[in-house]
Amino acid sequence: MARYGMALDYKNCINCKACEVACKEENGVELGAEKHRIWVGGNNPEGQWPLLDIASAAFLPSQCQHCDDAPCEEVCPTHATYYDENGVVRVNADKCILCSYCMNACPYDARYVDDRTMTVDKCTFCSDTRLARGETTTACQNTCPTKVRTFGDLDDPESEISELLRTREHFSLKSHLGTNPKLFYLT
Amino acid sequence: MNFIKKIIPMKDFTLKSLMTFEKTPLNLLMFFITVGLLGAFGWGVVEYLMHSHHAYNVTREHPWGLLIAMYIFFVVSSTGLCIVGSLGDVFGFKDYMAMSKRAIFGSIVTILAGFAVIAFEIGHPVTMLIYNVLSPGLTSAIWWMGTLYGLYLTFMIIEFIFLMRNDMKNARIFGLTGLLVGLAAHSNLGGVFGFLNARIISNGVFYPTYFILTAFITGIYLIYLMYGFRYKMQIPDDIKKGLLGLAKIQALLLAILMFFETWKFLTAIYGGMPGRADTAEHILHSGAFLYGEVLCGMVIPFVIMLATKWQSIKLYVFTSFIGMIGIFFMRYDLVHDTQLKPLQMMKTVEYQLPPEWVEYFPSAAEIAIGFGGIGIFFMLYYFGQKMFDLEGGAH
Repeated sequence: MARYGMALDYKNCINCKACEVACKEENGVELGAEKHRIWVGGNNPEGQWPLLDIASAAFLPSQCQHCDDAPCEEVCPTHATYYDENGVVRVNADKCILCSYCMNACPYDARYVDDRTMTVDKCTFCSDTRLARGETTTACQNTCPTKVRTFGDLDDPESEISELLRTREHFSLKSHLGTNPKLFYLT
Repeated sequence: MNFIKKIIPMKDFTLKSLMTFEKTPLNLLMFFITVGLLGAFGWGVVEYLMHSHHAYNVTREHPWGLLIAMYIFFVVSSTGLCIVGSLGDVFGFKDYMAMSKRAIFGSIVTILAGFAVIAFEIGHPVTMLIYNVLSPGLTSAIWWMGTLYGLYLTFMIIEFIFLMRNDMKNARIFGLTGLLVGLAAHSNLGGVFGFLNARIISNGVFYPTYFILTAFITGIYLIYLMYGFRYKMQIPDDIKKGLLGLAKIQALLLAILMFFETWKFLTAIYGGMPGRADTAEHILHSGAFLYGEVLCGMVIPFVIMLATKWQSIKLYVFTSFIGMIGIFFMRYDLVHDTQLKPLQMMKTVEYQLPPEWVEYFPSAAEIAIGFGGIGIFFMLYYFGQKMFDLEGGAH
């Protein structure tokens, strides 16, 4: 089995939001700003026009961090949130009772309510779609025009993501919380 | 019915006697309030069934709303009444023995009202019952809280049956067990918030202990209201002695609570940790905290009890009404304040400018169901008074 993770070369992001569109199309996510598995946030440039600090502006793609020690998994009363065989944090809609505890416990704001099933949904690294068909990329990675995202097996030393993490400086979000995310931001 | 009477002694009643009551202005007022609240509850449930969670104002950023707060309000009340009821029949304090039956019955009906409210907040309550058993999440505070509250209710009902049968030995055994399970359940409810690493204003040991303290305070407020209404302020001597004693305990508990709260805010603000200090400062500036929690819930009752030297039961009944308003705000603020701070996880701009603080105001359906729960409590309590002899207690 693999241990999937993703590296984000976020400084390459141009905020085209193709990844968000591809994710929605691939995984049947409902339209609307509140319903999204992945997103591109941003920091406005600091300073006042015309003295703007352009370098301070950044686009920041993010999503579920697929933590190794996921708070959402710990707090779920019915084990609806679970780790699959590839270490991907998933939600079993049949078991989800919509207590929303996972939404409150997730430090990454990565979960939303799917209005059709009234259960909690989130990024699954395309486990139900592309990976299930035998493909090896996620929709967001596949569509990114500037190659922000690199998805792969962290346990495979030959994988592109392992190579990137060996050779590039990187950080994780809110690492002080001890959640051990499997999303890595390349600097 | 005879079979039930063999298990639990009941008064003789008919459907007609259940529906008739003395038409005093106070009784009529309570009748109309209860019917209004029950109507609101019914309307809210219909709204919920038609529109699901869309009938509520909860959002991705603020997934817990008024119904969670009202659920906590009721279960805190239940634990509080359980503690008050246990003073006599479990711990053997003579002054409180006459209150046991009424307090324990109150603890049963308040938790039933809480369950009625939470049933319409949990998206899939039937699924919950099934998978709580088939795939229990043992690391989840919600699982422990729910399971322990289920056990607690069972023990409370058994204790009440033994109380009604005047079997004090068994009442004490089940009362003590119920009390311990109830305290475990209640501190787990505090743990639901305490375990939230993502929300550092709530994270820590404070809430599990604070919940037990405020439960005792809530129980005392409620027992005053129940006896004030029952005897129309003409409290008999055997109850009076206990109530006056409770006023002293209440003043002490309120002093401890104010001490707790002061240190909570001092430690939260000291050091200026982002997400904790700024949230605490924001809470300190909110009217719901200052006027609701602090003034109504703590300061006014404490000052009145101190000024009257624990001798004015009539005043304490009115004080308790103000106190319960404060308790409501304590629960509402607890839930809302936990979610005040946006997580803003690498998305300082996301489609629109981010709010500095997450706003929430309950929808009409949430208000109807949440406060409608009080109507359910009134109705169950009224029927209980008609069906059971709640006078007297342990002997």
